[in-house]
Amino acid sequence: MSEKRNMDSFQAWCHRWGRVGTVIALAYMIALPFVVLGYYDSIPSLGEVFNVATLGILAIYIPVGFSEALGYTPIMGCSAYLGFITGNIMNLKLPCAVNALKLAGKEANTPEGDVVAAIGVAASSIMTIVILAVAALLAAWISPVFELPAVKTMSSYLLPALFGSMTLGLFASTSAGNKVVKGGVKGVIPVIVLVSLVSLAARIFKMGSALLGMVGFLILVMLPVAIITSRILWKKGVIKVVDKA
Amino acid sequence: MSTVKDIIGSPLLLALVIGGLAYILAFSVVYLLKARKRALEMGITREEINNIIKSSLIFSIVPSLSIVIGMVALAASLGTIWAWWRLSVIGSLSYETQIAGTLASALRYASTADMMAGASGREFGVVMILMSVGMLSGFLILIPFGKKLMGSVDKTRGGSGWSNVLSGCFMLTLLAVYVPILLIGDTYQALVMITGLIVALAMGALAKKPGLGWVNNFVMAGSMVVGMVSSLLWTAIF
Repeated sequence: MSEKRNMDSFQAWCHRWGRVGTVIALAYMIALPFVVLGYYDSIPSLGEVFNVATLGILAIYIPVGFSEALGYTPIMGCSAYLGFITGNIMNLKLPCAVNALKLAGKEANTPEGDVVAAIGVAASSIMTIVILAVAALLAAWISPVFELPAVKTMSSYLLPALFGSMTLGLFASTSAGNKVVKGGVKGVIPVIVLVSLVSLAARIFKMGSALLGMVGFLILVMLPVAIITSRILWKKGVIKVVDKA
Repeated sequence: MSTVKDIIGSPLLLALVIGGLAYILAFSVVYLLKARKRALEMGITREEINNIIKSSLIFSIVPSLSIVIGMVALAASLGTIWAWWRLSVIGSLSYETQIAGTLASALRYASTADMMAGASGREFGVVMILMSVGMLSGFLILIPFGKKLMGSVDKTRGGSGWSNVLSGCFMLTLLAVYVPILLIGDTYQALVMITGLIVALAMGALAKKPGLGWVNNFVMAGSMVVGMVSSLLWTAIF
């Protein structure tokens, strides 16, 4: 029997107009440099843009983009369209979505969850655009403050601080709702073991802090490991989905 | 022939950046209003919605200031307008810096600053184009497959419950990748993360006390700020 249902009106709006809005933004982002460079008669040749040096960097960042889309879209739901345009997903948009779900007591990947996550992500996007616009306007005056060593140190620890503050929210969002997944953590044990070994090796070779730059790759590699393990354990009845007591 | 300076200070570039940001701002506002309207229809109260908005706004300040630091750093080499645009949309400081640095060495300049001082408009064009197209790969997944990806974890579809397991899988993988890296990879990162977690737990407990429910709106922002500030202490001690 088909499991299909009528999509919620907000989800349907996002998949239609969110996607259209995203395509327009994307076209604008690509066109912008060409319009400016065309005006100044400075459009470079294809060979100048894509060569051995630049392809090396693109080879690093293209998989990161894939991993972000594959890893974060199912968590963010409909707010992913807006989140991907404004960027800073891991350090800003995803925590906002998780925080909104926690505050409203709603479950991710449900119509209600999508709506509250979208409210959080949209409010956050507006705030960031405004702050950056003010900062750009006042750049000459505020730059010295942001160049203070203490401010730079604090800023470089944003991600660990953020993970400390949102770990509870992430766990809460995996167990909210009418159904509870029992033993879900067992599905990611191979991931924990593998990443721990990699982290240990990085620490021994004093490359620990650089490891964060490889997270995109790791997520891309580890997601299939976690999904396949979880699927096998769910089929064997080790991971169970039960009604919430 | 045009130079870098002609382009990075160009009124046309400024106008296009302002136009693009106005569009994204309008898109965000429409998203917010649509979601808010649907939330009210679903029975979510105005107070709950306002709390989510308030909490998201407060929480966004510190990470945004962190992006401002990146913008200030990037503006020194790429000019304020282009740095503002790149970090307001899908750009990331590490990617933009690497592109600029690699191109500077490929073009035989000693540094990015040297390149910006002496490069031609065409050379800066390479920087602009690569920065604009390099981060777009995620959209190749999101636009054609986003609906399917979200549908695969939709918990309202019923069925045998695999969607519930799969949905949790993404969150847990995120934790399973980040947490060992932060806790094992680097002592300072581990201490900052633990500080943030302890403060979040303490604030969560405080919010459960009668009359202190409002603290909930500040748990994430507060614990994150304390975690970041603690980095000064940990780097001074160890």
